[in-house]
Amino acid sequence: MSLKKNDEMDHNAWLKNQDLTVIETAFLTTLIWVDKRLRIVDYLELLETMYYRANLQMPKSHTEQYDLDNKFWYWYPLYSLGSLSILAYLVAAVSGAMLGFYYSPSTAGAAAQGDPTAAYDSVVLILQDVQFGFMLRSIHSWAAQFMVAAVFLHMLRVYFTGAYKEPREVNWILGVVLIGLTLFFGFSGYVLPWKQLSFWAAQIGVEMALATPIVGEWAAQLLFGGFTLGQATLVRMYILHVFVLPFVVTSLIALHVGIVWVQGIAEPH
Amino acid sequence: MTDDNDPMTDGGTDEEARTDGGPPATVPPDDETPTWSERKENSQGLAQLTYQYFERSRREDEDLRTESTYVERDVLGFPAWPHETIRNLAIASFFVGMLIFISALMPPHFGHPANPGSTPAIILPDWYLYWSFGLLKLNPLNPELAVLDGNILLGNEFLGIIAHGIVFGAIALVPFLNKGSARRPVEEPFWAAVGMTGVVLSLTLAALAIQNFFPFELDLLVTLTFLLPVLCGIITYAVLKTMREGYMYDLNRRYYMLRPPK
Repeated sequence: MSLKKNDEMDHNAWLKNQDLTVIETAFLTTLIWVDKRLRIVDYLELLETMYYRANLQMPKSHTEQYDLDNKFWYWYPLYSLGSLSILAYLVAAVSGAMLGFYYSPSTAGAAAQGDPTAAYDSVVLILQDVQFGFMLRSIHSWAAQFMVAAVFLHMLRVYFTGAYKEPREVNWILGVVLIGLTLFFGFSGYVLPWKQLSFWAAQIGVEMALATPIVGEWAAQLLFGGFTLGQATLVRMYILHVFVLPFVVTSLIALHVGIVWVQGIAEPH
Repeated sequence: MTDDNDPMTDGGTDEEARTDGGPPATVPPDDETPTWSERKENSQGLAQLTYQYFERSRREDEDLRTESTYVERDVLGFPAWPHETIRNLAIASFFVGMLIFISALMPPHFGHPANPGSTPAIILPDWYLYWSFGLLKLNPLNPELAVLDGNILLGNEFLGIIAHGIVFGAIALVPFLNKGSARRPVEEPFWAAVGMTGVVLSLTLAALAIQNFFPFELDLLVTLTFLLPVLCGIITYAVLKTMREGYMYDLNRRYYMLRPPK
């Protein structure tokens, strides 16, 4: 356990002994300098391993091996529904972030019942004054519709091709959770403009929560901020829609896709 | 461990490897770090079982690999660059393009501001929650679930919530009830029929949610809500059963052309 430096580790001496061109010397000096500080050799090794793994000979897929492609290609579009729902989710995220610059989650400003609130007015501002705002809200709304539609169809595809079977039960259940969260995403977004239908949809939500025994009142207070709708409801729906759900849904999607990556796509046969 | 020399920390013979005289080293030298197999032997109980299982599953993988009848392919599949990338970009651009086109063509309606004082004549969520809203309108069924003295067991709204639980629970249970390697609907007409029943049920529940738009009586609509899905399920079952023979023949022929039975 000597503390003396071993000669073999003297990279500079090794470099001097070699007969190298200027370019080679410069390259090696840089490499040694960086590697001494960051140990990039480890990462290069990892990259190399990944490169060889990626270029392994793959076993033929079931459709290839039994030449089912001639019967099968017209089902392939159904296999892109999962990625299309992610794509719609991304479009909704980008347009939603831009809408968020102008939207304010507040019920203030209504002098009498039925007067427009600050939230309603901010959506009116987006629709009438903000450059491109009308289109932005339209895109956000339609992206949500597309996402839900793609998610539903994706579930039907998985069901009717038996892709949920044995090693994939966990991912199926994760998908069921994701559908529920997607619907709740849509619901919370529906409440935000605080228009007449938003209010009464939220009212139905509160009544559903209150009808549940034991946990109902607690859930109503947690999600809707009380038993009657107001400022607290709007802020809670806003935070759920723009903060909690995006984080939860994005990480669950990553997990969902990660499991598909690990397990491979279930081909019908 | 195989060294003949004494340990160095208590004044051993190795001059090179002398420390400057601290307490005995607590970190074992490299050759004393137990190997994985030693760790396995040393471990007990759950840890040992874990090691044993890992060994088994590794052996299983190895066996599957060596005994596999898979045909290796010489070339990699569809190249990721540029073919797959361009195909994906084309699909993605078309999808986003359609999204923007439809947004421009059909902007969503924006209604009146919220008024807690006046309930609108028609309350509806977005289309994708119609089925859920339909489940909340199952209260005509509630008296039929009563057992004692005609008292209803549940509040009408709680019935709707329980219905949600049943729907989500049933969907989540599917992979635990239906196992095996069959994938195509023709191979399992029963489960395909269950699926069609579910799809049609979600549509009829959506119809129940917008019941005001139907010109016939509510009783009939509630009956149809449950009758139509079952009917569709039975039809699906019958059709697939009929298709099955010819279809499986065709499929089997293709298998046997490549892999004749021994």
